[in-house]
Amino acid sequence: VTAASELDRRVRLHIYEQFLEDGRPPTAAETGSALGLSNDEAVRSYHRLADRRVIVLEPGTVDIWMANPLSARPTPFRAEVGARWWYGTCIWDALGILAMVRVDGTVRTACPDCDEPLVLTVSNSDIGGDPGVAHFAVPAARWWDDIGYT
Amino acid sequence: MLFFRSEEHVVRWSRAQAVPSGAVLTRDQIWQLASAWYGDRMEPGWRRRSPAEAQRLFADLDLTGPFWQLSP
Repeated sequence: VTAASELDRRVRLHIYEQFLEDGRPPTAAETGSALGLSNDEAVRSYHRLADRRVIVLEPGTVDIWMANPLSARPTPFRAEVGARWWYGTCIWDALGILAMVRVDGTVRTACPDCDEPLVLTVSNSDIGGDPGVAHFAVPAARWWDDIGYT
Repeated sequence: MLFFRSEEHVVRWSRAQAVPSGAVLTRDQIWQLASAWYGDRMEPGWRRRSPAEAQRLFADLDLTGPFWQLSP
């Protein structure tokens, strides 16, 4: 384990913990300050994590767009736990937020065809709520060609 | 990946939007995939799956065939 990979491990965990806590991802400066790193070290770590597709940065910036399953941009996929909520990047990810935090919750979205609101519930690791199906338009080999669209 | 009321709504929407028909998963399948893929994400030692590991995870959920092949 190299020093950089150990640092990236701490940075990654901090990003996820703060994203869940604050409802938005921490900036590199905030992460650096929290972990006792220089701003440069934090920025380099964000770029390494993005290069390894652990996070996705807003194009041309060091701001986090996605720390999958969490999305900093609003999406039509909202995961709720009690009074707290986060946006998932897609239906897979919105459900993934509940799987990741391992607590009961709800995912709200709407049918893209008819706009009817759809509510999925997760309780004791079981899925319930409105019936429906998930649609994958892009084959797995091409998911990262345009991750925003996927 | 979007969530529709039913497969009929997927078909109508895909035609209207000229989107490929792709793959359709049941509600249970997408939840199983989300659980398997993201269940360990908050573990401190988490690392990104290799393509082979991801392919095995798909296969364990019966997500097989060309659509789910990670290597072209």
